[in-house]
Amino acid sequence: MIRCLGDFERLAREKGPKRMAVLAPEDEEFMLAVKRSWELGYIEPVLVGDGERIVRAAAKVGFDTSPFTLIAAEGHQAISDLGIGMLFDGELPIAGKGQIPTSYIYRSIIRREAKAASGMTVSVVTFWEIPGLDHLVVMTDTGVNINPDLKAKREIVRNAVFVYHLLGFPRPKVAVLSGRRPGGGPMASYDDYLALREAAQAGEFGDCEVVEATSFTEIFLGGRGGRVVKEEIDDGRLPHILLVPCLDTGNIICKLDFFLDVNRSSLVATSRGPVCIPARSDFSDSIVQQIAMCVVLADRMGKEGE
Amino acid sequence: MIRSFDGIIAAAAQAPPRTVVCPDPGPGELAVLAEAARRGIARPWCIGGAAAPPGAPFRFDPEEDPRAAVRRALEAVKGGGADVLMEGRGPGEAFLEALGDPREGLGVKGSVMSHVSVYPLLKTERLILVTDTYINNRPDLARKQQILANALSLARRLGWEVPKVAVLAAIEQVNPGIPSTVDAAVLSKMGERGQFGRAVVEGPIDIDCALSATAAQRKGLKSAVTGDVDIYVVPDGDTGCLLAEALVFFGRMETIGCVLGGVAPAVLNLPYVEEKNRLAAVALACLAAGKGGGNG
Repeated sequence: MIRCLGDFERLAREKGPKRMAVLAPEDEEFMLAVKRSWELGYIEPVLVGDGERIVRAAAKVGFDTSPFTLIAAEGHQAISDLGIGMLFDGELPIAGKGQIPTSYIYRSIIRREAKAASGMTVSVVTFWEIPGLDHLVVMTDTGVNINPDLKAKREIVRNAVFVYHLLGFPRPKVAVLSGRRPGGGPMASYDDYLALREAAQAGEFGDCEVVEATSFTEIFLGGRGGRVVKEEIDDGRLPHILLVPCLDTGNIICKLDFFLDVNRSSLVATSRGPVCIPARSDFSDSIVQQIAMCVVLADRMGKEGE
Repeated sequence: MIRSFDGIIAAAAQAPPRTVVCPDPGPGELAVLAEAARRGIARPWCIGGAAAPPGAPFRFDPEEDPRAAVRRALEAVKGGGADVLMEGRGPGEAFLEALGDPREGLGVKGSVMSHVSVYPLLKTERLILVTDTYINNRPDLARKQQILANALSLARRLGWEVPKVAVLAAIEQVNPGIPSTVDAAVLSKMGERGQFGRAVVEGPIDIDCALSATAAQRKGLKSAVTGDVDIYVVPDGDTGCLLAEALVFFGRMETIGCVLGGVAPAVLNLPYVEEKNRLAAVALACLAAGKGGGNG
């Protein structure tokens, strides 16, 4: 079982190097991550983007890119379409973005999923590694669906459960989060919880359990009748997967790592393989970790497909 | 300038005591109110609830029905007899419904009630505000304007001269497909035009840029608030409620809060407020209460 981000790094050394389309690594921090991932044996980069900028960024971090394929392309959407196209055409098992807004990547993935008629709703899975906790916590969807309806949430849960199964957990626990509170009126997010819990019980998402809690108070205190004592907060009560109500909630909560003692890694699990989507504000250590995660999941997705 | 829960308690103790009415108090509420009275922060007034401790130096009115106790407490506030409403031990559902009731609740025509959560930062002696963390489910732009105004009124009571505000959204760019980014941009423009008084209002801004000047720099965002935010405004009720809890359960942060924008401030009985901080919550509401019980 994969229980921490360090497990990804250990396994990536065994499973790598894998070819990875790196889209617009035109920033030193990203290029440094690509360099380290190559040195660690995780990836063999295929660089896509503005050749001059890529070479300049590589020179700044002392990375000789001459042994690698460099595909020249201009414009965020063109670069994104090219790299994601390579993933979907089976030319390589992983794609990852550099200093390029993620919305371009999502657009490319959505177009290619539609073209492939995979029926897959694209969603972002963000892992949190919390010190002392014996499992990673997935938050989803933290990147694509602005205000997902129940139909979209079904697909988002399905994607996350699929990814969590790849970590080796046969029956992950899922919390469907909502801001509902007593007397606060009806909330769509809570209605969705009720429907998703029923769907999970009917086996719609594969083996998993939707827990009877929709807020962190209910998760950590077992209900609203208790009262928090800081020293007694037990992270062990956290389920494996947290389904957030909407994009705003997901993005705001998952990036609290800037404030907290947690590590964050995100990816999109497409029907053809993982896409690495570090935030443009992430630092190289975090990006290397995210690349390692994609290498391992690409390996496991490949085996699933065999 | 107040920078801690202790500072809030001290400031409230220096101000004239406020009448705090609490329907259906339990032993926890009675203990908090007794301490608030002892420190000269509050003149407690209990309606129904647990038996009054012998010799309690404050008013007790009997009431068997917890819902009737809530109604009577609201009447006391609306009639000007009390300055602050404090939730007792009764069902939270009944209290919140009564609070927001269009006829009998605390609302004021043309105003919007909202909950402001207050957190001390762990590494520096400083407070931050997060709003709205309990009342509004899907506030539109007009409501968000009021929500921000409520938080700014509290910030000024805390002595913050030019509060820095981050209007949060999923991304830092204005995207017509993401309504929260558009609302945030408008609030930011209102701030620029002085519509919120002396304050710097930035939005849309994502949480990483709000929390870290370095992250903002890497994204090319230039702003006076990055890494130095006093007030975080969230886009909706789901986000507000969950963020307020996440800071406590993941961040191990302590919190207090109160409802503003009504006839008088109200203190909710929230399970993620530690028992030891409930006195500070009452003090905060007393500090927020203006002459005549409004939160001005």
